[in-house]
Amino acid sequence: MLDGLTFSVDKGEVFGFLGPNGAGKTTTMRILLGLLGPMSGTATVLDADLSRDDEMRKRVGVLMENNGLYDRLTARENLEYYARLYEVSKPVDRVTELLDFVGLTDRGRDMVGNFSTGMKRKLGIARAILHEPEIVFFDEPTSGLDPEAQHMVRELILRLSHAGSMTVFLNSHNLDEVQRVCSRVAILHQGRIRALDSVRHLTSAGQKTGFSVTLADPSQAGEAEGIISSLGGIGELTWNDTVLGMVLVTTPANEVISALVKNGILLEEARMQKRSLEEIYLDVMRQAEGGAA
Amino acid sequence: MSRVMVVAGKEVRQLVKSRNVMLSAFLFVVVFGVFTGPAVLAGAGGPEQVMDTLGFYLVLTLGIFMGYLFTAQVFLREKQEGVIETLLCAPLSLRELWLGKVLGVTIPAAILTYFSAVLIVIAGSLFTGYTLVPSLPVLFHIIVVVPAFIAAASGLLGFVQFILGMRENQILNFVIIFAIIFLISFTRELIGPAFSVTWAVVGAAFGLALGIILLTAWLTRFLSRERIVTTLPE
Repeated sequence: MLDGLTFSVDKGEVFGFLGPNGAGKTTTMRILLGLLGPMSGTATVLDADLSRDDEMRKRVGVLMENNGLYDRLTARENLEYYARLYEVSKPVDRVTELLDFVGLTDRGRDMVGNFSTGMKRKLGIARAILHEPEIVFFDEPTSGLDPEAQHMVRELILRLSHAGSMTVFLNSHNLDEVQRVCSRVAILHQGRIRALDSVRHLTSAGQKTGFSVTLADPSQAGEAEGIISSLGGIGELTWNDTVLGMVLVTTPANEVISALVKNGILLEEARMQKRSLEEIYLDVMRQAEGGAA
Repeated sequence: MSRVMVVAGKEVRQLVKSRNVMLSAFLFVVVFGVFTGPAVLAGAGGPEQVMDTLGFYLVLTLGIFMGYLFTAQVFLREKQEGVIETLLCAPLSLRELWLGKVLGVTIPAAILTYFSAVLIVIAGSLFTGYTLVPSLPVLFHIIVVVPAFIAAASGLLGFVQFILGMRENQILNFVIIFAIIFLISFTRELIGPAFSVTWAVVGAAFGLALGIILLTAWLTRFLSRERIVTTLPE
């Protein structure tokens, strides 16, 4: 059951909706699409309640887990059917264009039942966007796909968001995928949003920034440690072979590099250590489960 | 083209491409059409009256069976496979969706039923040795009332399949199939040899079919996307 869910998605944004199985992601999506009614509160998409407004659905695209395709029809027949339902002008031309967009031009006359999972997914994406919606909802778009097909679907989503002002609502528990394509995420656990922020902010701001330098000459290790310690505003200095790790509390990374270089320390590499979305997600889950317990 | 016709066109196309379903329907029509010949000779009241009785109830029962067979493909299968969820997000009302599907079932089922009627007439004529033509009320019944009954049966069944869960639908299917077998086997005995098809009988049947269609069309206002989605299989 969803509990006090409040969020908004900006126009043109790729918004990731994360959470474990049973967290309420699909239920939220169904409520937004007007397929389920909320027990209380309101859900609007493009300022409209989709459960009451059939015409508004023309402006929304959807890719559910099953692609919404008919196995006994060809790829072209499937797309043309939806194009006519959405009253797309010049449906035949648009279908040709989209088959080309998803790389299925040669398979247009083949039955969808003979397609691989990846091909069906590509066709499902084409179906979801054929009427050029303003917002498109993707439910686990890479679920069950091999790595190559996952990469292809991610590229398609990025192309969509870059090509126009299409807003993308991505329902997923594939953290790597979300980190790669989304600008902002919400993390859902047991029906409640536990984190809601931009990916950039979540993976850096609000956290102590990790930083490491790799020395070209290991014999300079002691000297380098002394220089860094003298700077202040730095904590948790650690050594690992030739890599000197630290947490930047107040001193920025460029000052550390500058001090080391000025004092003749030879550097091979300097690297900011951002937390991955996976680490953040797991932290949020642990906190949520701790809170629930 | 209206959205209703778009849905209907897709359903017809999909049914025509379902070889197993079409083959079953075709065999059913041929078997029942051809094997009625001896019944025309054996029946009480003379060949003309038996032909009229068969044209009235057998063609109707075959039509309803075709409707039943195709409704499962058009309504239930879409729900079973979950494709309906995507369709519910499309810009068409539930009534348009329902009506498109009913038309998509009725058109091919009526064509096959006409074919069965032609076979019954041919088989009866071959067995009697002269051309047997159904009476005018029976012809009207076959051409107009039977498709109306197919639409009524398909509409009502489709509506029920929309609102019921998959297990309830399985039970319902068993009940319907046994009811159809019962109708085919015993209707003639139930209606008796004195039964004759008049305009009044055909008119009453037509009225009943239209009544069911109108009632179901009215019931679709109570159909909700939520009900369909919450009865989808996991």
